[in-house]
Amino acid sequence: MELGKLNQEYIDAVAICEIDKSTFAALGVEEGDPVRIETVLGSVVVRSSLDRRAEPGVAFIPCGPYANVILDSDTLESGMPGYKTMDAKILPAKGESILTTEELLKTMTEGV
Amino acid sequence: MNQETQVFDHIICPFCGCLCDDIRLEVQGNKITKNELGCAISKAKFLSHHEDRISPTIRRNGTHVEVSLYEAIGRAVEILASAKRPLVYGLSSTENDAHREAYKIAETTGGVVDNTSSVCHGPTILGVQESGEAAGSLAEVKHRADTVIYWGSNPQFAHPRHISRYVRVQGEYIKDPKADRKIWVFDIRKTITANMADEFVKIEPGKDLEFIGALRALVRGHPLDFEEVAGVSARQLAEIVEALKATKYGILFFGLGLTQSTGRHRNIDAAIRLVQDLNSFGKWNMMPMRGHFNVAGANKTSTWQTGYPFAVDYARGYPRYQPGEYTSVDVLARGEADAMLNIAADPAAHFPRQAVKHMSTIPVINIDPKRNMTSLIAEVNIPAALAGIECDGAAVRMDGLPLYLKKVIDPPDGVLPDRDVLRMIHDKLKKEVG
Ligand code: SF4
Repeated sequence: MELGKLNQEYIDAVAICEIDKSTFAALGVEEGDPVRIETVLGSVVVRSSLDRRAEPGVAFIPCGPYANVILDSDTLESGMPGYKTMDAKILPAKGESILTTEELLKTMTEGV
Repeated sequence: MNQETQVFDHIICPFCGCLCDDIRLEVQGNKITKNELGCAISKAKFLSHHEDRISPTIRRNGTHVEVSLYEAIGRAVEILASAKRPLVYGLSSTENDAHREAYKIAETTGGVVDNTSSVCHGPTILGVQESGEAAGSLAEVKHRADTVIYWGSNPQFAHPRHISRYVRVQGEYIKDPKADRKIWVFDIRKTITANMADEFVKIEPGKDLEFIGALRALVRGHPLDFEEVAGVSARQLAEIVEALKATKYGILFFGLGLTQSTGRHRNIDAAIRLVQDLNSFGKWNMMPMRGHFNVAGANKTSTWQTGYPFAVDYARGYPRYQPGEYTSVDVLARGEADAMLNIAADPAAHFPRQAVKHMSTIPVINIDPKRNMTSLIAEVNIPAALAGIECDGAAVRMDGLPLYLKKVIDPPDGVLPDRDVLRMIHDKLKKEVG
């Protein structure tokens, strides 16, 4: 992140979703293929990445703008959004592209 | 220009809450050419400090137009002077003196002032306010701890030298760090830290609170009539409790996996009580793994000056404190703030969508050394010197120890430290709003 936040390195580092081997098989995608992550608040396309230590059912997206698109702003009176726990669906997204940070910001500020 | 290589020793790394104070830098002319001892993040921070810098800009007809520093400050003052409910936010990646000026601006404009801890360790503070603080220093950990727990924290990734400087290292009473000290990781997934730890306990997502409750019951000698809690078997629970009770000096390091998950400050509250219970058996402390290098300092300076660690509202002329109400995400998501002054943070990259959406509808003044997502939507961008590299100042380590950051090179031409920019804004504001 110290290399700047608007370049490809940053996108490569945060626009990913780490899942386990069996999830790849279930989705029918290969490592690196785009996947769409969907929560009640919206959806975002990120690159899939294999986490050898992971187990089915838990996926990880690094803290960053891509995760925030699908995050609830309700802090339950604590000031803290629920960054670490949310229910989500993962869908294959073959052929879809990952937005740049500028495009992402646009969808965040102009979308519903 | 003098091109001789200068060597600086014992430089503090202004990146994460470890504030490693042993960095050795080589400087040629006005360029840092080498960083010894720093981790990969530290090397990137020091060696690429001159890249991606912002210049003073003002948005005109939808595009950023470069202006002079004074024009940018003038526009910032205009925005703040006419705002009814300005939000002052950030502060965790700058030094303490800059914080002071930011609080003054909030007071003068009757705004809300909050720092990034409301989205990282805010719940820690709420937990501490409820249950007290069992604090110790990192030096104590190094010299005494025989049990080290990382809970919902992945230091090998976010605080790369934490383990090598304080845990897997010889201390006064820990002669063999591998044999005399055990590292436990409690997390919902097997992180790289979990991989190198002696013991890894996998907790079901969102079940930390139940799990801590079960541990506390067992520590206090109450039997459990469950087969498993949070995915951990009763047998394993009993083994964990035995190990915790046999500890002479234990430390519970906890990260955002505990503060940002279901339960939030209740998790911390419970963890503090667990540590209190364990103090009947051995000596136990706990410590939040603070992320940004001076977010701990922001909580301290805010408390010194306003009386409260974060989420402070000056609308009535005196400070009031209400997390959940005056915390930035809430103030923005409710659509309340009509201007925002952001200092040394990137809320556009870190806030949930609804909050960012509101940010894009109000004038944002962004003071930062580098380009980031907030600089893209800002109405006014004002560049600042990098604290700890291009200007000096004080910062607070995760264990509360204040350290003096040194200046090693000059900032780019015309770029001032945050504290000077903020002071200029405040002085002008004072004249306008009295
Ligand atoms: S561990 Fe943190 S403070 Fe230490 S060198 Fe690395 S980034 Fe800097």
